[in-house]
Amino acid sequence: MKALCWQGKNKVEVERVNDPAILNPRDGIVRITRTAICGSDLHLYDGYIPTMEPGDVLGHEFMGEVVDTGGEVKRVKKGDRVVVPFTIACGQCHFCKHDQWSACDNTNPNAWMMEKMYGYSGSGLFGYSHMMGGYAGGQAQFVRVPFIDVGALTIPEGLEDDKVLFLSDIFPTGYMAAENCDIKPGDVVAIWGCGPVGQFVIRSAFLLGAERVIAIDRFPERLKMARAGGAEIINYEEVEDLIEELKWMTAGRGPDSCIDAVGLEAHGTGVAAAYDYAKERLKLSFDRPTVLRQVIQACKKGGVVSIPGVYGGVLDKIPFGAAFGKGLTFKMGQTQMHRYTERLLKHVQQGEIDPSFVITHRFSLDEAPMAYRMFRDKLAGCIKVVLDPWAGPMAA
Amino acid sequence: MTITTDLAQKYGKRQFSRRHATSNFETTLTFAAGAAISIYGLLRRDWFGAAFAGGGGYLLYRGVSDIRRPYQGKARVAFTIGKTPQEVYEYVRNPGNWGHSLREPAFELGDGRNVTIRLGGEDGVEFKSQIQITDERPAEYVAWASTDQFLEHRGVVRFKKAAGDRGTEISVAFEYKAPAGSIARSLAALVGLDPEQLVREGLRQIKQLMETGEIPTTTGQPVGARGLRGTAKRVLYHERPAAEMQPQRLAGD
Repeated sequence: MKALCWQGKNKVEVERVNDPAILNPRDGIVRITRTAICGSDLHLYDGYIPTMEPGDVLGHEFMGEVVDTGGEVKRVKKGDRVVVPFTIACGQCHFCKHDQWSACDNTNPNAWMMEKMYGYSGSGLFGYSHMMGGYAGGQAQFVRVPFIDVGALTIPEGLEDDKVLFLSDIFPTGYMAAENCDIKPGDVVAIWGCGPVGQFVIRSAFLLGAERVIAIDRFPERLKMARAGGAEIINYEEVEDLIEELKWMTAGRGPDSCIDAVGLEAHGTGVAAAYDYAKERLKLSFDRPTVLRQVIQACKKGGVVSIPGVYGGVLDKIPFGAAFGKGLTFKMGQTQMHRYTERLLKHVQQGEIDPSFVITHRFSLDEAPMAYRMFRDKLAGCIKVVLDPWAGPMAA
Repeated sequence: MTITTDLAQKYGKRQFSRRHATSNFETTLTFAAGAAISIYGLLRRDWFGAAFAGGGGYLLYRGVSDIRRPYQGKARVAFTIGKTPQEVYEYVRNPGNWGHSLREPAFELGDGRNVTIRLGGEDGVEFKSQIQITDERPAEYVAWASTDQFLEHRGVVRFKKAAGDRGTEISVAFEYKAPAGSIARSLAALVGLDPEQLVREGLRQIKQLMETGEIPTTTGQPVGARGLRGTAKRVLYHERPAAEMQPQRLAGD
């Protein structure tokens, strides 16, 4: 089959690889009909995530048709149309039973690596470095899905792929980020980063009853999409002081909750951003926590800081005094995918949201290397790329 | 409650060596100093030099014997498994249950007390060991000791009900005497042969088998061109060909 493989920093290639096989009794094989490039794939593309190796198959947002199942698979049947969450969960450990699916004990074959770096290991992820399990991802024509009964969300007839594909990651991720804010009537939610996850945060915050959402970015097309979702917008390059601007917009209270949907590759302006950039170029740090500092500074007293953006290592110059002084609550982590997929599918079925609004570009898998570059450099108004693994000249 | 792990009474002189192995730092220092002093001595080409060379030579000799001196280590590892102590005890007590299912280390029971521990797949390293259960109380603990010369080990596996609905705390405390020194141990650890990590992975796999019926794996999945760097790192990720996959059974089958 064709698969998109990581080959190093800024280098991904479509290669011919073996078709996946059932390796464990609870595995299933899915023929992928739609897959997407996620913002977090760009962290791999830009070489920020350790333990990626040449030849690793990328991709963790995908859906398709079940074509084979292992001997212990009971719920999912051949021919089912499924969306697969990007976190892999066993469904039977203490964490899965307590709705903390992304902390699953039993799905990371390389748990020891993460234990060395983070103390404990989270669940395995598709196509996201050896540390996170080393599972082959879904920017390919087929994928092996471990514990398919636990994760795969069966899609009823009549919903096209584009409407449900993002239940595999960015919609639940945006929704959890908003839910973590514990939104109450009258709340103002500020969101840094209007990429695909940010767009879903905006819409989820309104679904959860936010009064106002303030969206912060610098790209006009992203701000335009945010405004279309009902948010007030700030182009941070055009305001003198972002924190003061937010204070002004909330009449001195500050946003009730602040969401960092940017993560480790923040850009920002000013001295702090330059400092982060220099430090990262000198390989003294993986992360550029510019946005994290801003959300802590901007958040109201007793407010919530919610972090769906990915961080990897040890962060520098975090204003923890401000966080303590204001009594902030921090919520973060890999999305508890399995907690949200059913619930959000209902929102889609009832027509309360059509997640396909975020798609700006469609390509074949063969064009994925170009699409990565386009998405990373935000060329041609690119916000979200969807790939068809069976289109194009190389189709098998 | 006394748990016997000591075989000294039974085997007399076969007690572990009391002499502690030196640290890597000490050994390296001894070596470096020995080498420097010897070279200095040899370069002087006089009687003083001969004395220096002699002293340096002794340090070098000490360094070599440090490397060769058996390393004595101890470790403890614990996991929480979502089953009752009785279930976990029965599962662990019957190596036939998990012996063939574990990926690494692989255990094979011979006749009587003989057990073969295999590391690194079919072509890997084999340790043959004779194991004796020295003390036991069902669903509470099992103590064992090896009776062979090459790799001495002994320890105790304990089973304890965890708080709330968390299942069973299974812990292994053990000590071992490896046939080479601490530098050899560090090298072995680099390629995944650290006894503590091996026991940890063994327990993790028992937990995974008991809770989910399978051990998560990526062995045999599709992979693109690894290139030079990726190929070199295969050892680190324990990547092996699909042929070495073993069929798995559900816990309790």
